[in-house]
Amino acid sequence: MEVVWQRLDLWLRAAMPSSVAVLLTLLSVGVWPLPYLGPVMPPLAFIALYYWSIHRPDLFPPSIAFILGALNDIINDLPMGVSAFLFTLAHQVIWRQRRFFAGHSFFMLWSGFALAAAVMMVAQWLLISLIGWKTIPFLPVLIQTVLAIVIFPLPCWVMIRLQRAVLSVN
Amino acid sequence: MSVRHSSFSGWSSAAAVSWRGLSQRFSFFIFTALALVLLILSRTQPAAITSLRTHTIDTLAPFLDAVARPMEAVENIGSLLRDTISLRANNQKLREENAHMIEWQNAVVSLEKENKELRALLNFKAEPNPSYVSARVIAETGGAYVRGLVVTAGKVDGVREGMAAMTGEGLIGRVVEVGDWSSRVLLISDLNSRIPVTLAETGDRAILAGDNSPQPKLLFMARDASASEGAHVVTSGHGGIFPPNLPIGVLQETTRGTITVVPTADLGRVSYVRLVDFDLRGGAFNSIESKMRAESKKK
Repeated sequence: MEVVWQRLDLWLRAAMPSSVAVLLTLLSVGVWPLPYLGPVMPPLAFIALYYWSIHRPDLFPPSIAFILGALNDIINDLPMGVSAFLFTLAHQVIWRQRRFFAGHSFFMLWSGFALAAAVMMVAQWLLISLIGWKTIPFLPVLIQTVLAIVIFPLPCWVMIRLQRAVLSVN
Repeated sequence: MSVRHSSFSGWSSAAAVSWRGLSQRFSFFIFTALALVLLILSRTQPAAITSLRTHTIDTLAPFLDAVARPMEAVENIGSLLRDTISLRANNQKLREENAHMIEWQNAVVSLEKENKELRALLNFKAEPNPSYVSARVIAETGGAYVRGLVVTAGKVDGVREGMAAMTGEGLIGRVVEVGDWSSRVLLISDLNSRIPVTLAETGDRAILAGDNSPQPKLLFMARDASASEGAHVVTSGHGGIFPPNLPIGVLQETTRGTITVVPTADLGRVSYVRLVDFDLRGGAFNSIESKMRAESKKK
């Protein structure tokens, strides 16, 4: 019986990074008590993707990036596959560069995120504009990106705490 | 564990690392391909993708609801504080409004009576009473791309695609996807929303076109239209999606010369919506064309 509990415990711990990412996806479409936040809501799921691709890629494989992207497409009514494609791609790029981002200071991690988020958001805007064949206003995308970069330390801090609390025993 | 270090520490761990790298790369290709398949499917099999969307949203609805509740509580506390602070001023304002409303009420009663009598004279067929479902907003979706809401009412509550989404103040959108327990509402401010409207005061026609900003634009208004700031914009009933005369907003001329509409309902702060079924399929609001088509079929 003990073995079962141990396995369950391990399994739950291993599921933490992806669960956090899903929770952030749900939070990003929540009806926040701030009016007009919806259109410029920063992509919280991408912050999770960035963090876990660097710090625990073993628990955050490409499959999870794909599922997270597909979920983002479904919830936000975006052309199906856009975020799934971009998240999988971003995961691969971030994973390959992870030592560069993680090995240094927090500022380095933050700058890396700023770069990744900017590229990701512009690519998403381009793809969706191309698929719909109409120019989607860019300003909200810009504000989303800036907001994502500004708030990055907060979800990041939460994930660092969670990682220490839940995954340090492994 | 760093790869550089482990590559010196023995064959087995180096092999494990490169195996993990390989599998990562392999699954990367698999999932990139899958994403591309999804992209293609959304173009070729839109019905299947829509069904996938509605089922997923239905499954997620309880979780979205759970996330929305604490936020709603915070919002409630906020509005309680705001209300308490402005209690005196609001009271005075409401008193004045109430006096004004009583005058209106008297006018409405006499007009209603007159209207009834005139209708009886004309042998006018009354419009069917619309039925409605009230629903709570549990998600504000779309980010910078789509202006939409997910609400807690679906097929089991009698929601149908195409129903009008309204608040007490006016029209905010229409139902575009219906699941069993949840549905998705596309707001009038969405980039793809086009609604035939008229100006209540003058009867001038135009198209209300969303551009993802909180204030949709008015397009295709006749050049000689006498549009003045503050004119009331209502649905025209053309196109057969909405019945005529649903209030939408008031006209506003921007500095750049374009004409926008300020929706009467605050689109940035919608907590509850009323999904209204005007029964446009067989009701009195059917477009003339479809009636003519039905007539010619009979013949």
